[in-house]
Amino acid sequence: MNIAKKLEDKKLTICVEGRLDTSTAPELDEELKASLDGVEELVMDFTDMEYISSAGLRVLLSAQKAMNAQGEMTVTGVNDTVREIFDITGFTDILTIR
Amino acid sequence: MLEIKGNLQDNTMVIALAGRIDSNNASQAEEEINSLLADYDADSLCVDMQGLEYISSAGLRILLRLRRAYSDLSLINVTSEVYEILHMTGFTEMMTVRKEYRHVSIDGCEEIGKGANGTVYRIDGDNVVKVYNDADALDDIRHEREVARLALVLGIPTAISYDIVRVGDCFGSVFELLDAKSFSKILAEHPEKMDWCVEEYVDLLRKIHGTVVPSGKLPDMRETAIGWANFVQEYLPEAEGRKLVRLVRDVPKDNHMIHGDYHTKNIQLTGDEVLLIDMDTLAVGNPVFELASMFNAFVGFGEYTNGAHTEEFMGFDHRVAQEFWKKSLAAYLGTDDEGKLREVEDKARIVGYTRLIRRSIRRKGLEDPEKKAEIELWKSELIQLLGQVDSLTFLPNELRVEATKKNLARVMGFANAHLEEAGCSEKTRMEVELALEEIYVNVANYAYAPGTGEVSVHVEIEENPKTAVITLTDQGTPYNPLEKETPDITLPAEERQIGGLGIFLTKKVMDELEYEYRDGSNILTMKKNL
Repeated sequence: MNIAKKLEDKKLTICVEGRLDTSTAPELDEELKASLDGVEELVMDFTDMEYISSAGLRVLLSAQKAMNAQGEMTVTGVNDTVREIFDITGFTDILTIR
Repeated sequence: MLEIKGNLQDNTMVIALAGRIDSNNASQAEEEINSLLADYDADSLCVDMQGLEYISSAGLRILLRLRRAYSDLSLINVTSEVYEILHMTGFTEMMTVRKEYRHVSIDGCEEIGKGANGTVYRIDGDNVVKVYNDADALDDIRHEREVARLALVLGIPTAISYDIVRVGDCFGSVFELLDAKSFSKILAEHPEKMDWCVEEYVDLLRKIHGTVVPSGKLPDMRETAIGWANFVQEYLPEAEGRKLVRLVRDVPKDNHMIHGDYHTKNIQLTGDEVLLIDMDTLAVGNPVFELASMFNAFVGFGEYTNGAHTEEFMGFDHRVAQEFWKKSLAAYLGTDDEGKLREVEDKARIVGYTRLIRRSIRRKGLEDPEKKAEIELWKSELIQLLGQVDSLTFLPNELRVEATKKNLARVMGFANAHLEEAGCSEKTRMEVELALEEIYVNVANYAYAPGTGEVSVHVEIEENPKTAVITLTDQGTPYNPLEKETPDITLPAEERQIGGLGIFLTKKVMDELEYEYRDGSNILTMKKNL
């Protein structure tokens, strides 16, 4: 997995490339915890993300909870496989997917 | 008491010392040595210390002064006691020092093993000696000691030699091996212990094949096998010869350990520990090369003589050997599927026959009618196999690893290889991966907590309808993950618990899930229609 970050004023865009699984999710979690201070708009760009497991969902859920308190979070570029996982787990309703 | 003798051998003065050199007699000794040297006009000097029991610092100073006059001074037949002193004082690094080798007799000793370049005898209750066939085997002995040490450090149970000795005109290396019994002997005396032997034998084999060797430490078996194929090519019809070389070249490089001569004479039971011996063939490479040498030892080597050669070599019935090979292969691959077993055996036979043919031809087998007929038999089998087999690599159905998150990638790679071979869609593959990750991580996190343990991952692709069947087996705390409460997926983010989704997802993406606790094992089976 690769993570690319872009901060413009109070908008943070995070691009995740590769697999968001048990091995890589902790890295994204740490990255988010370290970067969310003062962010009012968080964009998770999943255009190049191939795979997500429950470990990745946990990170998304805690990011969503954090952003509910300080602004808004959107998810973009979701592929069919990942969307199916979001549908099954009800994450389609929790997340704002564009 | 000190005795000094001198004689000239080809311009080298050999001075033999016997007794002790200390401050009382050192100056007298030096005078005697110098007068001997003055009598002859030698180019170089060698001190034979066979009879020397002790040397004090006064004696060491004599050696230093002698070296000033004779820069190539060498010390030979040094006893262990004196060697210790020379080693501690750094003399072993300053000049050539050769130890005196202890003489060991093997008269009346039991032969407990035999390998390609030596025979192992038990010399007393605690010790065995491996006598090397080659009289000039010191380099081989050092090599074997080095690789055995490497294997031990990498976690492979083995014995390391602690002394080099003389056995007649040959060299031997001595090992401590308490009450050891080879698996060949166990099978000869107790054929009913077959299944136990197979299990232990395959466990150790998996451990060897799961060991990554730092690059450059061991020879590459693929290179060796390419050499065999190039040699045998000349004796085959053109098309088959070319195919043989291509098949061996196409085997991917592999940095995992293989033993190279893994048969039941080289596996020893000592107490309740299973030890690997005869380490000189240790290498890295694809497991097909190991299976080839196993096939040869249990079957191929004796095929022409209807098993007689096998019995002579193994020390037990060739039908037992054949059964042992079949059962070991099935256990190693984790399948009882006859077709699959035959497929892998055929791959092993290609490499196996190639090796046997080369070995026999190099030993002038073509000049002996019996040996020639044997070569012809192996050749015809090989030619037939080359018509049927298109790759030497294979996928085992079972992978056993320590259940840790670190091994997740290996488990996924293993399952993916099967799914790719089955040609399933990307979406289905992702779903199966997802389920496997969730269940595997669950085992890694909880089954053996706070300790760790092994998990077996078994993948089978069934036909009609095409189905992937994945089974995870662990011996941890009994736990049925399927009973885990279903999370409420309609709750808003704020009320959602973090976690608890893994099993739920697994249930959703797989077609069938079954849990069973049997014989101390958690067994979880998942099925997915492909």
